[in-house]
This record gives sequence, C-alpha cells and structure tokens, in this order.
Amino acid sequence: MTRLERARRFVQPEPGAPAAVRFPAVHRETLPNGLRVWTIPHTALPVVTMALVVPFGSRHDPVDRPGLAGVMADLLDEGAGGRDAIALAQAFAALGAEPSVDVGSDVTTVSVTVLSRFFEPAVALLVDVVARPRLEEPDFARVREIRRNRLRQLRSSASAIADRVLLRGVFGEHPYGHGTLGSFAALDAMTVEEVRDFHAAVVRPDEATWVVAGDVTPDAARQILERHAGAWRSEAPRVPVADPVRPSLTPPRVLLVDRPGTPQTEVRVGHPGPSRHVDGYHTLVTLNALLGGQFSSRINLNLRETRGLTYGAHTSFDFRQLGGAFSCDTNVQGDATPLVVTEILEEFRAIGTSRPAEGEELARAKSSLTRGFVRLFETPAHLAHAAVRLATFGLPGDTFDRFVPAVEAVEAADVSEAARVHVRPDDATIVLVGDSTSWRGALDAFQRPIEEVSEP
Amino acid sequence: MIPFTKHTLSNGLDVIVHEDHHQPVVAVNLWYHVGSKDEVRGRTGLAHLFEHLMFKGAEHQPRGFFEPLQEAGGSLNGSTSTDRTNYWAVVPAGATELALWMEADRMGWLVPALSADRFDTEREVVLNERRQSYDNRPYGLAHFALSEALYPADHPYHWPTIGYPSDLRATSVDDARAFFERYYHPANASLAIAGDVTTAAALRMVEDLFGNIPAGAPVAPLTVAPAPALARRLVLEDRVELPRLYLMWPSPPLFSDDDAALDVAADVIANGRTSRLYRTLIHDRRRAAELGAAQGSRELDSLFQIVATAAPDVTLDELRRAIVDELERLATHGPAADELERARVQAESAFVGRLQTLGGFGGKADQLNAYNVYTGSPEYFTEDLNRYLRLTTDDVRRAVARWVDPSTAVALSVVPVGQPHWALPDSQPAVVTT
Repeated sequence: MTRLERARRFVQPEPGAPAAVRFPAVHRETLPNGLRVWTIPHTALPVVTMALVVPFGSRHDPVDRPGLAGVMADLLDEGAGGRDAIALAQAFAALGAEPSVDVGSDVTTVSVTVLSRFFEPAVALLVDVVARPRLEEPDFARVREIRRNRLRQLRSSASAIADRVLLRGVFGEHPYGHGTLGSFAALDAMTVEEVRDFHAAVVRPDEATWVVAGDVTPDAARQILERHAGAWRSEAPRVPVADPVRPSLTPPRVLLVDRPGTPQTEVRVGHPGPSRHVDGYHTLVTLNALLGGQFSSRINLNLRETRGLTYGAHTSFDFRQLGGAFSCDTNVQGDATPLVVTEILEEFRAIGTSRPAEGEELARAKSSLTRGFVRLFETPAHLAHAAVRLATFGLPGDTFDRFVPAVEAVEAADVSEAARVHVRPDDATIVLVGDSTSWRGALDAFQRPIEEVSEP
Repeated sequence: MIPFTKHTLSNGLDVIVHEDHHQPVVAVNLWYHVGSKDEVRGRTGLAHLFEHLMFKGAEHQPRGFFEPLQEAGGSLNGSTSTDRTNYWAVVPAGATELALWMEADRMGWLVPALSADRFDTEREVVLNERRQSYDNRPYGLAHFALSEALYPADHPYHWPTIGYPSDLRATSVDDARAFFERYYHPANASLAIAGDVTTAAALRMVEDLFGNIPAGAPVAPLTVAPAPALARRLVLEDRVELPRLYLMWPSPPLFSDDDAALDVAADVIANGRTSRLYRTLIHDRRRAAELGAAQGSRELDSLFQIVATAAPDVTLDELRRAIVDELERLATHGPAADELERARVQAESAFVGRLQTLGGFGGKADQLNAYNVYTGSPEYFTEDLNRYLRLTTDDVRRAVARWVDPSTAVALSVVPVGQPHWALPDSQPAVVTT
C-alpha cells in the first residue's frame, strides 16, 4: 500500500453518539433512630460497598484543638465493641475486608467493601466502629503518637508543605485553614476525654447516612441495618455550625518556604472560591476542564507540553459546604519558578479577558465532560461515593442525571463571566517551596507582600 | 474468571476480547513487552522516555494522543516498569474504533511524527518527573541505591526505570527511533479489548486497523543469572525526619514456585494491623512509625522486602533485631492456622475485587494482557488465585526459610542528613548514580 492509499483509507473515526447516563435509583429510608439508609442495588458481582457519612470534619475542630476530628476518626477502628484494635482488624480481615476512614473538612466517611455473603457481619462490625468505639487511653496515646510522627515526616515533603501553606494562605483563621492532622501543640494538649465528648456530639444516627451499594436488596439492607444499628442512640448536644467563608479572607501574598539545596519548586497559586452550592456550578466545572482540569487543558499544554518545565500542572475548584478555593498546583524545575508563576497568573487573567473560552476549545472541554460522564459509575464503590457526595452537600436526587444537560447548556459568555468572578489573579496567594537562591529577587514583580514561612 | 477469546493476527499481534455489556464503556489496553530491563548501559531511562513520546502524536494524528480521546470522553494513561510498557484508554462504547485507530496509528506510524523538538521537550518533562518523584521526595532514592547494590552492573534490574539523568541527557531522537524499530511492533505486543463490544466487531476493527502493520523482528527473551544473595549494610543520608530501614533479598520470579508463599509471608510479617510486627513494634511497644513488606514480583527476578521507619529516638538496629526474630519464627513454625485462613479469604476477596473495573491500571483488560504476556495465557487468572488458595503452613515456612535468610540481607539505612549514628552499625555509604 502506498503512503497515499494508506492516508486515504486510514481516516480518523468519529466518536459515536454519546451514551445516555442515568444514575441508578437510590432507595431511601429512615430508621426510627433517625439513621438514613440509602441502598443502590448493583448486581454485576457479589460485592457490596458500604459508606457511612457522618457530618463532622476538621472544620468542627475546636479553635484550640486543630486535629481533634482526625484523632477521633482514627480512633474509631482502634478497638470497638468487645474487641481491641488488633482483634477488630482481624475480624474485618476474616471477612477479607479492611475498613477505611476518610476525614475531610466537612464530613467523615467510614467505608468498607466486602463479598456480599459477608454483608451482615461487616455491618455488625461497622456499627461497632461508629457507635461503640472504645476510645481508651492507650489507643489514644498510640494514635496521637502516630499522628505526631506523620506531622514530623511531612516537614520533609515539599508537596505536603505547599498544600498546608496554601490552606492557611487562602482560608486564614477560618476553620478551613487547617488540615485534618492538626498541630503538635494541639496534639500535646489533647486528652482522651475531649475525644469522647467530641464523638458523642458529632457521631449520631440522626445526622448520619449509611449508603449501601452493590449486590443486596433495599429490603435486606434495611432489615440488617435495623437489626444491628436500630439501638444506636445519641443524647449529647450538637456542635454549633461555623460561619460561611467570605471571599478574600486573606490579602494576596507570596508565601515562601526556603529549602536550600532542593532541585524543584512546589508551586501553588490560589484564592478563596465558592461552595458546592454556587449558582453556575456546571459552568465552573466546564471552565476548569478547559483551563487546567485535565491533561489537554491550557495550563498543562503551556507549561508541560510546550515548554517542558514540569511533569504536570493542574487547576481545581475545591468545593466545600461553606465556601471553597480555586488553585493551580505544579512542581517545576527551580530556575523556571518566576516564569511559571507569571504564566499561571497570565492564564488566570486571559480566560476572562483576552483569550476567552469559546469555539472548538470550549466544545472539546464540554464534550470531554458530557461524553466521559458514563465512565464514572462503574463499581459499587463509585456509586456509593457518588451517593456520599449527595449526602455531604444535601444535593437533590437527580443531581447526576442533570449533569450532562447542564454542561451542554453552558455557553461561552457564561464561562467568561464566571472566569472574571471566580478566577482572580490579583487575589491569588502564591506559595513557593524550594531553593529560592536563584529567584528570590524576581518575586517583587508579583506585587504582593512576601512572607517567609519557616515552620508550617 | 474473565471470559475471553484470543486471536493472533498474521503479523503476530495477540488480540484478546472480553465482552461485558453492563454499561456502554470499552477498555482498550495495549502491552509492549519491553521495559527498562531491555535498555543498554549509557541509555538508561529510554523505555520510559519512549512511553512519553508515544503520547505526542503519530503520522495521522500529529496533535497528540490526549486531545481526541479526552474530547471523546475517554480517560487514558500509560506506564513503564522494568518488564513491560502498557497503554490504556477507557472510552464510551461509541469511541472504541477511535481508541483502536489511535493505537494503530502510533504502533504503525509514530516515527514520521517524532521530531527532535518534540523529543527535547519531552526529555525535559521526564527530567522534571525524576526530580519531582524521586530526587525531591523523602526516601525517594532508596530503591535506586538498593537496585545498584543488589544487582551486578550488567543485570537488567541494576538501573532505575526512570533512568540516570546523565543518560537521559545523552539520549537522542535517533536512539528513540531505533528503540521503536526494535520493540514497538505487533509481534512484541498484546492488545486487550474489554467491555460493551461484540467479539466479532472488535476483531473486525482490529484486523482492519492493525492487520497491515509489518510484523517486525521477534525479540528474544532475556536470560539472566539470578542475583546472588549478599550480606551488605549501606547508609544513605537524605532530607528525612525519621530513619528508615530497608531489608531486601533476591527472590524467585513472578508466578514461579514460592512467589505466592512469599507474598503471604510479607502480609503475615509486616502488612497492616493483623501482621505480627505491627502488633509488637507499633501497637504494643510503639518502636516503629511505619511498617511494610512485599514480595516485589518481577519477570526475571523478584525482591522480598521489609521496610520499617523508626519512631523518634529508636535505632534501626533495634528494628532489625525485632524483624530477624520474627523471620526466624516464621521460618521455623510457619503461619498459624488463622493467619493462613485470613490470607485465603483476603485473596478471594481481592481477586473478586479485581473483576470490578474494565480498564485502567489493574482493570480486567490490563490483567488479561499481564497474564498473556507473562504466562502466554490470559486464562491464568484462575490459576493465579488457586496459588493462594492451595497454600499450606509448610509452603510459607519453607519459602521463608529458603529465600529470606537474615544473614544475607542487603540492609539500607536512610537517615537524616548529618545523623549517620541512627544507621545499622558498620554501614558503608550507598551509591546512587546520577
């Protein structure tokens, strides 16, 4: 075959029509003690994923106890019911399972995946974990020490330092300004009594949602949950709700963590952003896909594909209950640090002004989201964690079915307007973690106060 | 198990199709049986750098691999190990032909689109990747030091897959072209398609798109003498907070006798809260901050490894002694009945778990290719699980006694800069080639 014949025959195929996506029905019930039980049957394999959403996270930490929610969450599976930490781990392992506890800023999720024949014994163990954790002194002391060691180790991780400094830089003293690990001082001062009181106040059936996705019927799930969780009660007073994040809590700055002798710079550029409940959520998702949400987005094409300055650059909206953040993160060769920051700020600026999202570029970003949506609900774990998002933000049941039409309806003018409101280079704090010898002098160009951070 | 059909095209390309019509999604997965083990000295890192180049575009779609597939709703990536390079895309079923066409384009016609400019930019990306993921990450150079110590200089596992920076800088676009000619052809590849497509339609598309690509010269399998057991103590000063000890032993290859037994032994010794060392070193005595163990299975030769990070003010020699005690007990008595029973249930659960996703790293398509490339049969899934279900106490005991001799470990202490006193006594400075 000649080259010409091949070129004629070997033509790039068009993708076929997009597949319709319907999120499966969520069967919702409420037990007499207030526990919500949501079941999503999925019978491809004899597997069940359970995820219990409890509405507490690092933003509920008392002001002088950052890290309390994280310590409490860690302690849940360090002994519960009649079992100590090791016996509990062995009991889960005998079901081929390992529970995981994910502490976020707004909610904590306790989840486990098991073969469906072990569904009931796994429910029984998981109820012990949330309702009857032992919360005893030796386990507390061990968990606290493991957290201290973890904090200590993160001092040598440039990316972890950058993430922590960005949180503080964007959210300041708001409860979102610290992560789940807390601080050495708070860990030192913490007591097991504080952990017990906190548990009693925030882990309660009338505020929790138990999601079951997989090879189990809604009836069976409800009966088994009733049998094991029906007696779970909480009488303690509730923790008050924090205030929403207001925009520009913190003045834009350059926050510099100098690490002499290191070859790369961790870069974060970000500012406060909207909550998950923002009007035009789908416009922001589209904007992000175009600007920095995926490999073929602008910022990655610029910094990686065209210039070769990084292994990757991304942007994200961190949507939370009370507010959020918008930021770009990347890791670049040291001598390119000022250039990269300049380029990121310019990309932030251009999308709302000189290079708006439009035409084929916008169509591609929308298409990647709408056509790709069908991939996101493959396993019981995917379905369970999608339902966890509904529970976390109190979203309506048709949220996922509305995604594709809502993105399809996004227009160029919407994206430009959203970019001007929600992507604000002049409000952005710049976090740099690296050896500043060669670029310290270039930072004045960013026209914001420069602060050195020594011990994040 | 994963039902499949396997065909081999006349140019030698293996094609495996697994139908799963639960949802309108298809996984396309392509393995080339080439990794850093196939590199020559002076050009380390070429296999991985080449993987990057495969995403830059080919003759008929020179704009690059990501844009058309992401626009079509696909998710995609690739990876390089010592043994193989894999590429995958998960796409809505309607984009199956597009995903296959893109793979065919770069299998057949990558070189015409491979310019020196593209090559130079991508080399910078890889140098950034190396600095970000290894040089600038705590303990990030430990495995490089261990490979250099464990394997003789001419052993294919001696150098890191990411490559030595000096070699990457010396590599040219001509090296990349020659690498493509030698390794990137149908007879050295295995294509798996899983999901919402009929076998007949998949085979028709594959025959049409890949059938005309020339076969290429067969690649002879590498043969190499097993790495010798060594007793060495090394120390590496790094930007870390807590000292960490790595103990490593050469062990039998992937899927050979004792491979599964050592995998279970690793779990019993130091993986998770049900392990023996977790109980003694973390739960009861709080002498370790982190623990882990693995039978790191590879095609030519494996490494059995135990890794322990010290709690503050604990020497690595104390951790070493606790590990040795436990190894000796396991080599004498083997695992207890309940430990073995948990291992069996966990294996069953893990194997069913592996049937949940079609594509991506470790999805069904990737597993079919792994079994096909390493054993010659995609059917090996069932036998792989049976290796674990069959294990006896004595199998594990014998495997530990045979392969994990505490007197022959290569022991690397990674300690904070300027604090060599935390290392094992008599440790020599480790070598990390750059």
